[in-house]
Amino acid sequence: MLSINGGGRHSVGSKVGTVLCWIASIIVAAVCVSIIGYLLWQGGHSINWRFLTSDPAASLMEDAAGGVRTPMAGTAILTLLSIALALPVAVGAAVYLAEYMSERWWITRIVRIGLETLASVPSVVFGMFGLSIFTMGTFKFLSGSGTEGGQAAFGRSFLVASIVMAVHILPFVIKVAEEAIRNIPASLRQGALALGMTKWRTISKVVLPAARSGIATAVVLGMGLAAGDTAIVWLTLGGSMTMAVDKWWEVGNWLATLRGAGSTLTTFAYFNSPAGDGNSAGAAFGAAFLLVCIVLIFNLAAVVLFRRRNLTGR
Amino acid sequence: MSDSFLTADSNETFAMLEGMLNTSVPRVRSTDVPSVFEVSGLDVSYGKKRVLHDVSLQIPEKRITAFIGPSGCGKSTALRCLNRMNDEIPSFRMEGRIRLAGQDIRARNVNLTALRRSVGMVFQQPNPFPMSIYDNIALAVREHQGRMGRAELDAVVEQALRHASLWDEVKDNLKDSALSLSGGQQQRLCIARALAVRPAVIMLDEPCASLDPISTARIEELLLELSTDYSIIIVTHNMAQAKRISDKVAFFLMGRLVEMGDALQVFEAPVRQETAEYIRGAFG
Amino acid sequence: MAARSDGAILVAEPGIPSRIDLTERVSRTASDRFMPYVLGAAAIFSGLLVTFLIYFVVQKAWPVFHSEGLRFVTSGGWDTQLEDSWSGGAFFGVRELIAGSVFSTLGALLLSVVLGIGCAIFIAELAPRWLKRPFETVVQLLAGIPSVVFGLVGLLVVVPFIADHLVPGNSGDVVTEIPIAGSCLLAAIVVVGFMVLPFFVTVASDSLRAIPRSYIDGGLALGMTRWRTITRIQLPAAAPGLVAGIVLAAARGVGEAIAISMVAGAIAFIPNLAHGPLYMLLEPIRTMAAAIVENGGEAMDVPAMAAALFGLASLLLLLSVVLSLVARWSFGVFNRRMGVVSDRAL
Repeated sequence: MLSINGGGRHSVGSKVGTVLCWIASIIVAAVCVSIIGYLLWQGGHSINWRFLTSDPAASLMEDAAGGVRTPMAGTAILTLLSIALALPVAVGAAVYLAEYMSERWWITRIVRIGLETLASVPSVVFGMFGLSIFTMGTFKFLSGSGTEGGQAAFGRSFLVASIVMAVHILPFVIKVAEEAIRNIPASLRQGALALGMTKWRTISKVVLPAARSGIATAVVLGMGLAAGDTAIVWLTLGGSMTMAVDKWWEVGNWLATLRGAGSTLTTFAYFNSPAGDGNSAGAAFGAAFLLVCIVLIFNLAAVVLFRRRNLTGR
Repeated sequence: MSDSFLTADSNETFAMLEGMLNTSVPRVRSTDVPSVFEVSGLDVSYGKKRVLHDVSLQIPEKRITAFIGPSGCGKSTALRCLNRMNDEIPSFRMEGRIRLAGQDIRARNVNLTALRRSVGMVFQQPNPFPMSIYDNIALAVREHQGRMGRAELDAVVEQALRHASLWDEVKDNLKDSALSLSGGQQQRLCIARALAVRPAVIMLDEPCASLDPISTARIEELLLELSTDYSIIIVTHNMAQAKRISDKVAFFLMGRLVEMGDALQVFEAPVRQETAEYIRGAFG
Repeated sequence: MAARSDGAILVAEPGIPSRIDLTERVSRTASDRFMPYVLGAAAIFSGLLVTFLIYFVVQKAWPVFHSEGLRFVTSGGWDTQLEDSWSGGAFFGVRELIAGSVFSTLGALLLSVVLGIGCAIFIAELAPRWLKRPFETVVQLLAGIPSVVFGLVGLLVVVPFIADHLVPGNSGDVVTEIPIAGSCLLAAIVVVGFMVLPFFVTVASDSLRAIPRSYIDGGLALGMTRWRTITRIQLPAAAPGLVAGIVLAAARGVGEAIAISMVAGAIAFIPNLAHGPLYMLLEPIRTMAAAIVENGGEAMDVPAMAAALFGLASLLLLLSVVLSLVARWSFGVFNRRMGVVSDRAL
């Protein structure tokens, strides 16, 4: 008997399944929103002008951990230096992968496997790698500065941490940059070649400028990654409260600062949390608040850049 | 005069269409002139697939030559051999000889950049660079002419845009993005860009395929003017277009050059039967 | 002079085309010639970086591998050995740490896959158009939250919750070896589960979306409901992609150090099933990654401890290389099924 009404055997399963998926998604969205909300709320309490502009104080007394000025500077230094180191190599590699390398070569496969593997290496291992290499004699120049009583630890410094961090973010920046370059339509390259431009000129004068916003997205993502990492920083920079040099912001002291230890918002939060040595949950939350703000800004920037690419390109 | 079919005044449209219909009789210009390109024995394959068999032809100087034929017959491939664009494709193999102004274009000491400067190309889909109108042309010019004063560069850009009949429409907006232009304007910009480097030959691969009839008519008019100074080769699917503007016609079928001759002769009294059938519309 | 239909006058200059000389020397800057080499060097260097990593880490771990061999992974007692190393002890067994990593990662994977499949199906099929992008952005945000923030929230929300609501009052009688508190395996599972969820969801939803419409239309034409096409056609077809997603999430989860060190109790202990599932989850653990970050600071002063930590790092490295290759293979299977020719991953 032919019947086309009635839900059929599977309609119940259908409803239950759909509802479960909705529930799962709502849970996830709720968790994300509440984490950020919780941070903003809890951390917001700690944010005041004094907090932002004073330096951390080495005190075990509860809630006397001082401000976040040096950790903030530390995050800025580390993020900028890492992306500065990683970007040229990343864009170079991305260009070569997108424009010169054929997928059929064996060397291409090796490079891709190497990059994928590098991307799945945990932060802690990078940290140990940093410790293994930069405690070697040849790299002494990268660390070990510090005034009397200042923070001088052999093998640990902003320079060391930035180099290791650059290696950590490299595969991600390459991936995003390569996508951006590959997305430039072939017709543009053809047009340039037909005008007599050489391959490299085509790349440097037509393709890369056209891929500007995609590469900017890669930069922003890399910076977000560098700003949020704790394990690498903890191992290669330490958790010291102060910079290596007292007046670290003066240009003459820059090299000494870079060669010395310090902290970033992430290690500051880790240190001050009940899991670290400190006892000031408030300070930790304040730092976490700033971190979340930074991450939100970077994410927003990436989205905006992505949109802009779609408007000016084809 | 508007550039888009949709916004044209209806009187204008009728006038234009009338003009197009009136030139359905092939033009008559002598093709007894020196050849700018001489192709002999051209065989082309991509990997194992043979796409051109033993093609030999000559392109007359300062005339319009049309390559016609059904899809996939090899006419675009033949065109792209002339400026060695096919070299970019890894599986491309070529036998035979191509001479430009007497020089073998595949000789060892030939400079590819010089070749592509002398032989300009315009593609089916307009492909302006995502930069300003000015920069599109300036980039091309700087490639070949090196350092140039600002005033001189401005003059060259203006001249190129005038040549391509685009100057009046964009002269106040040179800094605007090229992508903000309409399809027909973008294609004329590509022509201007090709002209800016002072080629001797201009090749166009179905340049009006994506354009509306009014833009098409403007470009055809432009090509007719340019042919007094440049040698033009146009690949086209559109037989009416070939009839309207070409001096010499080459008919390709399945990778072979079936017939080539003066436009008048090929369209009115084709020698080969396949040509007659194609022109009649028996296949396409 | 020629007049055009739009009235403009074209000024014809004789000799506009330049002379044809194919052999003229066009200046090629040096960069044309050496740039490809520079770029190639960048690419090869980046690809080979991981081998440097492996070399240096394993080299530093060599002392402990050499002296202990397999007993490094089969024996236990990490916590006391750590203490002893200050006074010269040089034997390390990381069995508890491995167990900690395994349990926490598996638990986290369970959580993230269960929720993640739902999210992936939601993104790929069920979400209304206006909701799709915002939800994807939310998932991306979750991925971007730093691990220390997860740790803080875990420490100050999840751990107290477990302590207040899940830990029975008489736990001291049931489990006598170690104190039961809120910092435990369960806390680690919850926190890491949400940390790795975005990795799985992104890959899973991409895989689902890559299934050709024709498969789905075929099912619908046969009278299947939307949901059945998802469960019977799309999920099985996307399976290799889902596997790759799980593997990538696992790699992320096993490598997580900071958040786990903050919420899991920091005691090297193997959760004991004999105590029952509830207690097993409430027992504290220490993972390989957490152990490294907890002791890495001081380790360099004590060579034996340093070697042990490098040993742990080598194990983690081995694990992540293996997982990465498995994910790549899985993507390959998926791409071949979908008829994609290129070698690149999804």
